[in-house]
Amino acid sequence: MSLRIAPFLPELLRSLFKKPVTVKYPFEKEAVPKDFRGTVVFNPPKCIGCNICVNDCPAEAIDIIRVSETEKKFKMILHNDRCIHCAQCVDSCPTKTYHMDLEYETAAFSRWDLKIEYK
Amino acid sequence: MEYKVSLGPQHPALHEAVSLRMTLDGEVIRDADLKLGYSHRGIEKLAEERSYIQNIYLTERICGICSHSHTTCFTQGVEQLMELVPARRGLYIRTIIAELERVHSHLLWLGVAGQEAGFESFFMYTWRDREVIMDILEWISGNRVHYAMNIFGGVRRDIDELQRKKILDSLELLKKRTDYYLNLAASEPTFVGRLAGVGKLSREDAIALCAVGPTLRASGIASDVRRDDPYAVYSEMPFEVATADSCDVLGRAVVRIKELISSYAMLEFLLKNLPEGPFKVKAPRKVKPNEVYSRYEAPRGENVHYIKSNGSDKPERLKVRAPTLANYAATIAMLKNGFIADIPLIFAAIDPCICCAERLVQLDDGRRGDSRVLSFSQLRAMANERAKKIDFKKRKIAWPF
Repeated sequence: MSLRIAPFLPELLRSLFKKPVTVKYPFEKEAVPKDFRGTVVFNPPKCIGCNICVNDCPAEAIDIIRVSETEKKFKMILHNDRCIHCAQCVDSCPTKTYHMDLEYETAAFSRWDLKIEYK
Repeated sequence: MEYKVSLGPQHPALHEAVSLRMTLDGEVIRDADLKLGYSHRGIEKLAEERSYIQNIYLTERICGICSHSHTTCFTQGVEQLMELVPARRGLYIRTIIAELERVHSHLLWLGVAGQEAGFESFFMYTWRDREVIMDILEWISGNRVHYAMNIFGGVRRDIDELQRKKILDSLELLKKRTDYYLNLAASEPTFVGRLAGVGKLSREDAIALCAVGPTLRASGIASDVRRDDPYAVYSEMPFEVATADSCDVLGRAVVRIKELISSYAMLEFLLKNLPEGPFKVKAPRKVKPNEVYSRYEAPRGENVHYIKSNGSDKPERLKVRAPTLANYAATIAMLKNGFIADIPLIFAAIDPCICCAERLVQLDDGRRGDSRVLSFSQLRAMANERAKKIDFKKRKIAWPF
């Protein structure tokens, strides 16, 4: 193939007159796909306390603690600061207690703010 | 006069922490030595404490760019240990993701090569096109970087008809652009002039130094795990192994562009012949005692996982050999008799992923300044000896979280 001078020049010139593809982020937001793996949401009434999610979570972000010895009462702590958003808990749960929402702006000033307790 | 210069571990020319010690004669590198181990993360040890399902996500995090490569390598190894036959549709989807990943990785590499060669607009254009693939991956899997698609027995998500059509449409656009890049890489005089003849690795050296992936194929050797030891559905697909005979960085660029074109053809084949049926089958949690050696052709070369199981739900040992590690010896050969100004380009040409390859156990004696390599059992004995000396009662260690 013979060498040519500046073969990319037409592409460069064309790009000069195109609209920018970036958006002004905090004011304008791009939509995320509907199956996006955002933040984990837990639905307490459905939970049967089988602990499969606790064993399967790769980031050890889920704790289910039995509150009382006699009654069947549990406390569930979701450590969103450790969560890696893999959605394995959603797949593992036999009663479909978890689902992922589309929330991706999860920054916080302290990691403790990200901890959620369900009773 | 010869003098010694060390480069790195922190240096603007290197994107990751690696140290290079060179003997120079003027501007020419006469001898070079690499020092690794600045970003060791202990992933292999961590894998021994986690169940197989947790390890899928751990191996995914070995590398950001070839995240699917590591999980697939691990998953297909464990599937062999489980004697599990994965769902056919699952294997097809797994291969689709693998090829999409190869496309995005090679487009990324082309951009990096353009940037290192001083061709910034090439970098901008390839990365613009890479966004098309990233959007597809996000749409299919739910995330841009860590797709988390693999599970034992298949994949976690299906591809529906709409997604199938959209990928096929995007491929048309990408094909056009890639033809343009091939044209550009072969005919733009500044680009060709910068890459041609840099980082020579002869055919004999490439074999002797065990180079892998595009580095090996650019030296004229048609070696590809996808063809030599087919996994997933590669045995059913017609494709040719891309090679180049120029043995330099330009050859590596051409091999990668050719691989892009063959990946588009493969994706088209896979999407058009996607079989019906379930996309995953149920897998057991425990694995019988055995061992397996799993091979996978990652975008950078051959990726290897060795897995040993002991009958429980956790692996006894996981050994990862990332393709970059295999290419280091060849890199040193490429650097010899080259110029200092070519270091970033030669390094970029193997597409280094230094964090992925940090597995070496090397102990430095701070007082004497020498280093030695220890075997696993020696290291274990040393660790036990050291642990005996520590008085754990005196130390007040509290887990902060």
